[in-house]
Amino acid sequence: MAYVDSAKSIPLSRATQLLRGRTTFLLGGLFLCFFITLALGGETFAPNPPNQIDLLHRLSAPSLTYPLGTDHLGRCILSRLMAGTALSLGTALTTAGLILAIALPVGLLSALCKGWVDAVLMRIADIFLAFPMLVFALAIIGYLGASLTSAVFGVALAWWPSLARLVRTLTLEAASKEYVLASRQCGQKPLSIIRRHILPQILPPLLVVLSLEMAGLLLVLSSLSFLGLGAQPPAAEWGAMLNEARPFFAERPSVVLAPGIVIIFAVLSFNLVGEGIRFQLDKRKPYRW
Amino acid sequence: MKQFVFKRTLSGIPTLFGMTLIGFLIIGLTPGDPIEMELRRLGVSFTAEQVEALRVEYGLDKPLIQRYFIWLLDLFRLDLGTSIASGRPVLELFKEHLPITATLSVLAFVSSLALSLVLGTITAVSQRTSVSTSLYVLTMFLVSVPSFWLALFLLAVFALGLGWFKLLQFGNAQDLILPVITLTLGNAAVMSRLVRERIIAVMSEDYIRLAITKGLSRRAILGRHVLKSILPPLITNWAISFGSLLGGSVIIENIFNLPGLGQLALQAIAERDFAILQAYLLFMGLVFFLANFAADLTNHWLMPQLKEDDHGVR
Repeated sequence: MAYVDSAKSIPLSRATQLLRGRTTFLLGGLFLCFFITLALGGETFAPNPPNQIDLLHRLSAPSLTYPLGTDHLGRCILSRLMAGTALSLGTALTTAGLILAIALPVGLLSALCKGWVDAVLMRIADIFLAFPMLVFALAIIGYLGASLTSAVFGVALAWWPSLARLVRTLTLEAASKEYVLASRQCGQKPLSIIRRHILPQILPPLLVVLSLEMAGLLLVLSSLSFLGLGAQPPAAEWGAMLNEARPFFAERPSVVLAPGIVIIFAVLSFNLVGEGIRFQLDKRKPYRW
Repeated sequence: MKQFVFKRTLSGIPTLFGMTLIGFLIIGLTPGDPIEMELRRLGVSFTAEQVEALRVEYGLDKPLIQRYFIWLLDLFRLDLGTSIASGRPVLELFKEHLPITATLSVLAFVSSLALSLVLGTITAVSQRTSVSTSLYVLTMFLVSVPSFWLALFLLAVFALGLGWFKLLQFGNAQDLILPVITLTLGNAAVMSRLVRERIIAVMSEDYIRLAITKGLSRRAILGRHVLKSILPPLITNWAISFGSLLGGSVIIENIFNLPGLGQLALQAIAERDFAILQAYLLFMGLVFFLANFAADLTNHWLMPQLKEDDHGVR
């Protein structure tokens, strides 16, 4: 196997090394910290009040007062982007929480009750999975009426089945551990077994997966807001800002493109963190030419 | 094979029924009485008895279960109801709007499939070149870009800047170029990451080591061993990608102002035209279901020894 080993020992190019693993994770984490700081204190850092209308400076170019220019109502784009961080990230976080709130009980019940409960619950999950995700979310929003709340519900209802399946798999594995069996035989009540033995096992991997899903959630939620189905104007949500600025796209494309760049960076930071984690966990050594 | 088709069809039937049930229930559970809502919308004055009479006429006085089966029978006869907003049969509207969405998704699907295989193979197999590194960074970036932003960016560059395309109007096939490119780029990036992941998994296997030690050529290894073992999970994934293309086309149709099913659905949401929305949900669900079905059949045909795994990956 000397041939193979020598092939493996060729060092990775420096560029690749820099891009993978720890650096990726740190870069993503740095971006995330930046966004979290903005979310916590966005409005205090903002150079202008985010909803202050200045009709004399509509769609103006970047200046000292308005570092990124102004939108169609003369509002400072930078301030609105900063103030919108809390809403945009908060919405994604709420959705993730809601998904967990549905998926966790369903997955636990399914794995622990087995038998017909398991069959029925997983059948239901299958039926929800049978629709394209965005289409299903659109239908839910259609019936609830367009608003941020219905966007959150729509996405959560479309998203929970895949996570419920994961909870089920993790729980099955966790519950088959010998100390769990032992504590059952000692007469522990089911709820306390779940709380003491099963949740501590399944929550860490679950939270990691959920935080990786944040990238996807941010994308879907901002898309819905962009279509006018999520956050409604004058809320400074990133997707909604894009939607509001659309009629002025031909006049000044930067008004539309700026909020998008912030969305890209937010999504990218979650993806980078995820890629970093995956790279750290990856022990495989594939052959490469 | 026949046995597999039969079994798979049989296990699909409950799912299909469940889908129609969800489609029906969402309407059945909407707040407010449909008759009263419609009368209010028309601005007619009415009494409680008249509403009651109308309810009987439309069969709304029957229990929910009975109404479901009546509705299901209509569905089998392709009677999808009438759009409230335009007063036209939903089926007719669908026939008008389907071609755009179908062309868009199929073109984008085929091109992103080809692109993702190339991108995925390059980023997985060679890592010492600047080409593969930059391609890897590019896919990482593309999966983080919302499709609507990509569409607007391409419009800003190619329509506003270079003037190659017209802005926001649909006339001929040429106007589909940018929409297809937008959908392709985003989708290919997502798909290529799985291709890369699968190839890396296979290339770590011992039998590939053996093939390399044996002196097999690159082409033989990639073509014979790698492709064969990455195909089944990829085919499953392709069906799922097709579903996300169907959903994603809503955004693209909206930006490029293409008269497809997505635009029809968005309009239906704005006008609270539930018959269209219901048909849209069921139709897209059916297409997605058939795509998954086809993927399962292909996988079984390629590798009959593969155990069926309830198409649980998403």
